[in-house]
Amino acid sequence: MSNGVGSRPAPGRARQVGRVLGVVALVVLAALPGLSSNSFYLHLAILICLNTIFACGLGLIARAGQLSLCHGAFVGVGAYAGAVLGLKLAAPFWFEVAAATLLCAALAALLGRAILGLRGVYFTLVTFAFGEAVRLLLLDWSWFSGGANGLAGIGPVRLGGFVFASRFSFYLVALLGAAGIVLLLRTLLRSPVGRAFGAVAENAALAEGVGISARRVRMLAFVLGSASAGAGGVLLAHYLGYISPEAFGFPLSVTLITMVVLGGRTSWAGPLLGALFLTPLPELLRRTEELQHILHGLILILIPRLLPQGLAGAVGAAAAIANKALAGGPAEKKPTAQQDACSACRGVEKTALAPPAKRSPAIE
Amino acid sequence: MAGSLAAQSLVSGLLVGMLYLLMALGFSLVFGVMKVVNFAHGEFYMLGGFGLYLCFAWLELPFAVSVALVFGAAVVVGAALEHAVLRPFRGDPLNGMVVTIGLALVLQNGALWIFGPNPLSLPSVVSGAWRLGPLVVAASRLYAAAFSLVVLAGFFCFLRYSAAGRALRAVVEDEEIARLQGIRAGLAYPWGFGLGTGLAAIAGALMAPLFSVSPFVGDTPLLKAFIVVILGGFGSLPGAVLGSLILGVTDSVAGIYLSASVADILQFVMVILVLIFRPTGLLGGSDI
Repeated sequence: MSNGVGSRPAPGRARQVGRVLGVVALVVLAALPGLSSNSFYLHLAILICLNTIFACGLGLIARAGQLSLCHGAFVGVGAYAGAVLGLKLAAPFWFEVAAATLLCAALAALLGRAILGLRGVYFTLVTFAFGEAVRLLLLDWSWFSGGANGLAGIGPVRLGGFVFASRFSFYLVALLGAAGIVLLLRTLLRSPVGRAFGAVAENAALAEGVGISARRVRMLAFVLGSASAGAGGVLLAHYLGYISPEAFGFPLSVTLITMVVLGGRTSWAGPLLGALFLTPLPELLRRTEELQHILHGLILILIPRLLPQGLAGAVGAAAAIANKALAGGPAEKKPTAQQDACSACRGVEKTALAPPAKRSPAIE
Repeated sequence: MAGSLAAQSLVSGLLVGMLYLLMALGFSLVFGVMKVVNFAHGEFYMLGGFGLYLCFAWLELPFAVSVALVFGAAVVVGAALEHAVLRPFRGDPLNGMVVTIGLALVLQNGALWIFGPNPLSLPSVVSGAWRLGPLVVAASRLYAAAFSLVVLAGFFCFLRYSAAGRALRAVVEDEEIARLQGIRAGLAYPWGFGLGTGLAAIAGALMAPLFSVSPFVGDTPLLKAFIVVILGGFGSLPGAVLGSLILGVTDSVAGIYLSASVADILQFVMVILVLIFRPTGLLGGSDI
């Protein structure tokens, strides 16, 4: 890979590995409840599905180079919108999902309008403050949200006369949602729009130079990602049957960020892998919550340095090292995993940066 | 009586605003040098509180000595952390931010593990109250305010008149040109970060005797520092002063007449309005 021609296979292989890992993860997720009749595995599988939905939205935003710190708040807005519509107006499930998705999309669009034209740091600071404001509003508006007591007695999902009352039937709904959003993410990231996301993340000025509006790309990512969090929030509310404002604060956003960072920000399989690995963690470390958070912290500190592309890129990076060792460069310094993954990453970005042959109307 | 209540809350708002200012200055110094949003800033405030607890309540050192020790330790620890943890991400703000979130998690939960979740209270530094006409101000609050004024003046003089401070400002302004002038910009990263964390730790140490110390006390000051910096404008010192005074006063006035959460929501609305109508901040001019 030391010559220019050799730089092409790396992204191809990374993509292949990502595909294999993603499919394996989906199969594991689908098979998890079959491992044992213990309903705990079913519970875990449902939580993984829900976290996958949330993390995919966040991964999309991160792909465009921004870190949203209010993703948990959007999950909360969706959950509350769905729960209130269901409890107070007895709205059907599809209507709850549609309303929550649209509400979150509209909120994200309004917020994005105010901050996306400014420097990147404002996005970070304002999304953080927005997340706090949402939590406080939910606590304060008890006529709407039940305040600190939360909302209880949210019924099961009802769709077209069928009631998804059993845990297994809900699992099927959640699995369908997770698989759907993973496929959606994959399709989007591989389309010209997805390439534009990568280009804006890598070098916004250069992307603007080839005719991509960085502001529109970021807006699209923020709106789509936040809207999908809202849709997932409705599912979460129906599964838990009880929601309260504290569940949707900054810690939830950080947990989701940890999933995306661990799984990998550049691959469609990343959020899925992150959810698969990190969701069981609280159950394993139930008695020591501090330890769990410290572990999350260490992941956030170490993964960007050791595996910049996360787990989805790890196998690809390892394969590249093995390849290099076999090729036997002339007394070269052995590249570290970090350097190699970086060069692989750069390769991906280069292909993303090439002006797309046909540009999508969405970003024109 | 209503008038004196308002005046009373105004005064206590000014005192709180002073501590927000310390937080915001450290935060924007770190951002100015490294272009990284430091999410661990609030945790250094928390560690400053615990540091003061160890020095002042446990070792029973004099208050001023304790604060100085806390500051020195925070500068060194901050510089060491920058060197060990953040150095690979110079010029990569997104990953740098992810790493500071990780650092915040480790620090907060490390403190939770060591000190437990229950708030520790400290003995007060001075007792009694000052009377100024109808106003009554607790002496301990005045003491904290006087201390923060001294620290602010010292920090200002350091940035303005000392060679190191001027070098730091040059790096903030334009790193490449600072390097061309022979400034060792590599040193600005660890020491700029250390100084920022030192200011946060001092704010925590000054606040500790007034309130109690727990692993979660840093969360609110972090949010306040964000808001001050947006309201005042990045890099504007007068803006930061104005922003923290506005914030401190709305905190205590709205906290008395409305509720604390209404005050917080009001502040968020102010932030959005400022960003829409005056994105450079109230007094923002140049970029730090």
